[in-house]
Amino acid sequence: MDALQKSGQLVTVHDPVLPEPDVRTYLRGAADLGSKSPAVVFDNIRGYRGLRIAGNVHGSWVNHAILLGMDRDATIREQFFQVEKLWTNLDQGELKWIQNAPCQEVVHDKNINLYEIMPLFRINQNDGGCYFSKACVVSQDPDDPDSLEKENVGIYRVMVQGPDTLGMQGLPYHDIARHLKTAEERNMPLPVAICIGTPPILTTMAATPLAYNQSEYKAAATMMGEPLELTKALGSNLNVAAHSEYVIEGEVIPRQRFCEGPFGEFPGSYSGVRKQVRIKINRVTHRQNPIHETLFIGKPWTEHDTMIGLWTSVPLYKQIKADFPEIKCVNATYQHGLTTIVSSDIRLGGFGKTLAFRVASTPHGTSYCKNIIVVDGDIDPFNLDKVMWAISTRVRADKDVTIVQNTPGMPLDPCSEPAGMGCKLIIDATTPVMPDTMREITMIADPPGSAEAAERLRNAWKPADA
Amino acid sequence: MMCLRCLKDTAAKIAEAPDGSKEWEMYYCERCNYSWRSTEEPEITVLEKRDPEFQLGNLDLDTLQMLNPIPPLRK
Repeated sequence: MDALQKSGQLVTVHDPVLPEPDVRTYLRGAADLGSKSPAVVFDNIRGYRGLRIAGNVHGSWVNHAILLGMDRDATIREQFFQVEKLWTNLDQGELKWIQNAPCQEVVHDKNINLYEIMPLFRINQNDGGCYFSKACVVSQDPDDPDSLEKENVGIYRVMVQGPDTLGMQGLPYHDIARHLKTAEERNMPLPVAICIGTPPILTTMAATPLAYNQSEYKAAATMMGEPLELTKALGSNLNVAAHSEYVIEGEVIPRQRFCEGPFGEFPGSYSGVRKQVRIKINRVTHRQNPIHETLFIGKPWTEHDTMIGLWTSVPLYKQIKADFPEIKCVNATYQHGLTTIVSSDIRLGGFGKTLAFRVASTPHGTSYCKNIIVVDGDIDPFNLDKVMWAISTRVRADKDVTIVQNTPGMPLDPCSEPAGMGCKLIIDATTPVMPDTMREITMIADPPGSAEAAERLRNAWKPADA
Repeated sequence: MMCLRCLKDTAAKIAEAPDGSKEWEMYYCERCNYSWRSTEEPEITVLEKRDPEFQLGNLDLDTLQMLNPIPPLRK
């Protein structure tokens, strides 16, 4: 928050606001300010005097660049390769455990009433209640509770259901579902800790599809380039981010499900009402003067899309590149990768489809990546003008457009019917190479030195309104 | 009191503004888990103005889809 403040990327709303609808109205407005929008803090919430809400912290590419320690004008492509560069030795990050952690300065463990402890609000008008949209849920593998690697930190939607109970959605392909399944097979409660207002890189790592035995804490420490400070939860073996604003400790009640939802989700539509697990809260700890950090999610583009866009793109890139080093870049920023664009050099005829199959067989791509576009390696997948040019001038519909029916789908995608089923659309917009054929065509080459000329012009350019 | 969503007599006041301002009260239904605040828009707090698409009055909650099935117990 300090970095955003120093960069002029933080606006504090001092005017009195109602939890509903004012907070959501402001955060929708912040999202609509576009790629340079600031974070927003509310410090005068009616009924919650003295408590604060922050939103849109990851809400723009400028904010995202600042969180990465880059120049505020870094392009999305430059930010992609910065994340990619940092994304090495993720299991080597250093963790440090501290006592008397800031997140435990204040402890509530009797007569817990979340509505009175935290400034809660309904994010979208038809949500079933107040939700945590940016909460890092920590759980351990009941069969291996001391494994840091298997300890999971994930962002799952959490619904406040009464003073001291929560509902949670962890879908079957999410890591926490493995922990839940093991605990339920044993008819044991699963301890969880819900960290709100965590270090911003940890939040992004929690939203990233890491492998089951990769530690989000170690990965965050690697990306931060410094040790990540943890502390033990007060009532369990769980490790929690020591500098969280709030930590909610509780247990998932085994073998029971409760009515949850709906919730306005990332495709821009409401999910249905479903039966989901319930968490009984045992304790709430927080800093002195905490900030409830939240994320507005609605019709794209919102903070959700910026926060996870590159953190979805880079792991896909890494996983595909391990098998196919020709790959150049991946843009999976559209609704968590529902549409994904891959750029790659092409090894042999039909190779574009091979790459699409690989996208669809990554852990994330299995359910999420349903529209897969492959373009040549010299096309920036973040430059949609170039992508559309490739589609316009390369795609032979009879050969290059393929539909694979009845595949896994993303249940929150409104097109997924029944929820969880889908199909894959592959558009191979690459230039055919041997043994595939195309007409004899010579492409127009850019004049040598034009990139440098553009840079000279940029430096000399003083727009009239500057 | 009646839940504004599932229309059963299973709701109650569960909180009020913690700063003592009496700005609002919070209500919660222990059956369908819906909650609402007294200061929300009429589309939320006035039954006649609520969107029928999101009402659960005619729904048997036991029929809701369960995305995470309960596994068999280990032997």
